[in-house]
Amino acid sequence: MIERKKRDLGGTVINIFALLLVLSYAVPYVYLLMTALKPAADVQQIPPSFFPNRITLENFRTVLATPSLPAAFANSLLVAVLTTVLSLVLAVPAAYVATQYRRSFTTFFLLFALVTRMVPAVSLGVPLFTLLKSIGLLDTTLGLVLAHTSTAVPLALLLMAAFFEGLPKELEEAARMDGCTRFQAFVKIILPVMRSGIAVTALFSFIASWNEFLYALLLTSEKGKTAPIVIAEYNSVYGLAWGPMTAAAVLYSLPVILITLLLQKQIIGGLTFGAVKG
Amino acid sequence: MKRLLATSAITLVISAAAAHAESLNILVEGGGEMLQKAVAAQFTKETGIDVNFTVVPYQGVYDKLSAEIASGQSNFDVASIDVVWNAKFAAHLERLDDLFTPEFSADFSPALLSDAKVGGHYIGVPAWANAEVVFYRTDLFENADEKAAFKTKYGYELAPPANWQQWRDIAKFFTRDTDGDGKTDFWGTDTIGAYSEEWMAHVLQAGSPGVVLDAENNVIIDNAAHKEALEFYIAPHCQDKSVPENVTEIGWGEAQNLFYQGKTAMMKFWAHAYRMTPADSKVNGKVGVAPMIAGKAGIAGIPGTWYNVIPSTAANKDAAKKFIAYAVKHNAMGIEAPLGLAATNSAYESYAGKPGYEHFEPLLKTLAAPATRGRPMHEHYQEIVDEAVLPAVQKALSCEDDADEVLSEAKETIEDILN
Repeated sequence: MIERKKRDLGGTVINIFALLLVLSYAVPYVYLLMTALKPAADVQQIPPSFFPNRITLENFRTVLATPSLPAAFANSLLVAVLTTVLSLVLAVPAAYVATQYRRSFTTFFLLFALVTRMVPAVSLGVPLFTLLKSIGLLDTTLGLVLAHTSTAVPLALLLMAAFFEGLPKELEEAARMDGCTRFQAFVKIILPVMRSGIAVTALFSFIASWNEFLYALLLTSEKGKTAPIVIAEYNSVYGLAWGPMTAAAVLYSLPVILITLLLQKQIIGGLTFGAVKG
Repeated sequence: MKRLLATSAITLVISAAAAHAESLNILVEGGGEMLQKAVAAQFTKETGIDVNFTVVPYQGVYDKLSAEIASGQSNFDVASIDVVWNAKFAAHLERLDDLFTPEFSADFSPALLSDAKVGGHYIGVPAWANAEVVFYRTDLFENADEKAAFKTKYGYELAPPANWQQWRDIAKFFTRDTDGDGKTDFWGTDTIGAYSEEWMAHVLQAGSPGVVLDAENNVIIDNAAHKEALEFYIAPHCQDKSVPENVTEIGWGEAQNLFYQGKTAMMKFWAHAYRMTPADSKVNGKVGVAPMIAGKAGIAGIPGTWYNVIPSTAANKDAAKKFIAYAVKHNAMGIEAPLGLAATNSAYESYAGKPGYEHFEPLLKTLAAPATRGRPMHEHYQEIVDEAVLPAVQKALSCEDDADEVLSEAKETIEDILN
C-alpha cells in the first residue's frame, strides 16, 4: 500500500515536472499566438498584457493580403521538400556505408561532417553567392536547394550515422545469405527497418531548410524569395508591425506542426531507436 | 557597299536591342520600394528601361549589399541605403558629383547634401528624408480649461512647445493621475532610452558643431553642448517625473504606442507617423504637429535620410544614374505611397496646404534649420553608438551618475574604437 502511494507520488511529481517543461517550451509560442490575435493598438500595450483584451483576426487578414507572401510560402515549401529529399538521398547511403563498413577514412568522413557544422553560415554566404552566380543559379529554387542541401547533408549524415550505429550487422548478412545483393539488402531490408530514423532526419532537415534566413536573403531576390524574408520585412526602419509579423509566424509554423503530428509515431520510434536493443 | 550596309543594319539592330534590353535592378527596404514604385513605372514608360525592385528587410539591405560587394559582382544597379551606412559603403560606390549641379543641389536641405558627401565626393542622392518633429494632442492643447489652468500655473499661454523650457513645463503640467487611484497614469511625454538619436538632436539644439565627432573626426562628446543636452534629456525622467518610468525599455515603437494609446500628451517622433495614426487609436483625429523644439542654437533635428547609390560593380551605371536623376525630378510621386515621404523641398512644398499633409511644413522647417545636421559620417558610427553613446545615455538615465563623468567615459571608449 505504502509502495503504491510512493509510486503515485512519484508519478505526480514526474507529471508536474513534464507539464512545467512543456509550458517552458509552449509559453513563447502561446504568446506569439496571443499577440497575433490582438488589435493593432494593443500589441505594444504598456504595461504589456499576455492575453488579448479583444480577439481580432485583422492581423491574419493583413498577412493574407500581403501580395508577396503566397509565392514566398510556396517557395519555402518547395525548397524545404527538395532539400529534404536530396539530403536523404545523399546522406542515408553515405551514413550506412560509413558506419557498417568502418575504415579509418570513414571515421574521418564523419568527423569532417561534424566540422562543417562548426563553420558559421555567414562565412559561406559570399562564396556561395559567387558560385551560384557563376552557374546562373542565383534567385532560383534550385540554387537555394543546393545551398540548403550543403548544410543539411552533414546534419542528416550525423543523425543517420547515429541511427545506423544501433543496427545489427547480422541483418544485412542474413539478407545476403537469402540471395540479396548489397544494394537489394540495403533497399529491401535496411531502409524499412530504419523508417523511424529516416523520418526524424527528414523532419530535422525540413525544419532547418524551412526556417533558414541568411542564405535565402543573400542568394535570392524576388523570384526565389522565401517566407522568412517576407515575414522579416514587417520590421522596417519606420516601425515594427508586430501584429502582422506574429500572425505570419503563426501561419508559417503550421506546416511544421502538422508534419510533426503526422510523423509523431515514427519520430518517437526514431528517437528511442536502439534504446531497447538486445 | 551592300556588305557595309548589311553590317551597319545588323549593328543598328544589335545596339537597339541592347538599349531595349537594358533594365535596372534596385535593392531597397520594404516600404522604400513603395516610395519609388510610381516614379519607376513612369521612368520605364518614358525610357523603355525596366526597373526591378528587390525588397528585403531593413538589415537585409546592409547584409545583401555587403555580400555582393565582397563577391565583387553585384546584381544591383541602384541600392537605396540608410544614411548611417553611407560611410561604410562609400569606397565601393560610384561618385555622383556630376549630378549635383547648383540647380539640383538647391532643392535639398543643406543637411541632406552634407550627408550625401563622403571624403569630399557625393556618393548618394537623397531619395526620401525624415526628421523628428513634435506631435501633440489637439484636444488637450485646445481645451479652454486646460489652457486657463496652464496659464495660471506657468504664466504663459499653452501652445505647442517651441523650446526646452516649454517642453518641460507642458510635460509636467499634463502628467497626472486620471482615475484617482493615487498613481500617475497619464504622462506629459516619454523619454526614449533604447536609442540615442533623440538626444543627439538636442545636442545640436544646444549649439554643438556636430554630434559625437566634429568635422575632423575629433571626439567632442564631452563638450558643453553635449552635457547641456544630456541634462535636459534626462530631466523629465530624473527630476520632473513627467514620463513613464521604464525609460530604457522605451524605443520608437513603444513611444509611438504610448501616444496612440492616449497615455502621453505629446511626443517627439519621425514626421511620417502623422498619416499613420491607427483608426482605432484613442487619439485618431486629435493629433497636431509642430517643428522640433529649439535650444540656444534654434531648432535642430537629426535627418533620417535614405540615399540612392550606385555600387561600383553595377552593370548599368548610366541607366542607374539616369533613374536617380529622374527620381529626384519626380520626387513628389512618392508622397502618395503609404509612408508618404520625399526628399526635395519642391516635392514637400507641392503638398503644403493640402489637408492631411500638415506635417510637411514642420518637417521642412526642421530639416532646413541651420543647426540641423547629420550623424557623424564615419564607418565606425554604429559601433560608436552601440558601445559608447547609447550606454552613456542609458547610464545618465539611471539618474545616479554625473553627466560630465558619463560623457568622459564615453569619450574614452570612442577614442579606443577610433584608434
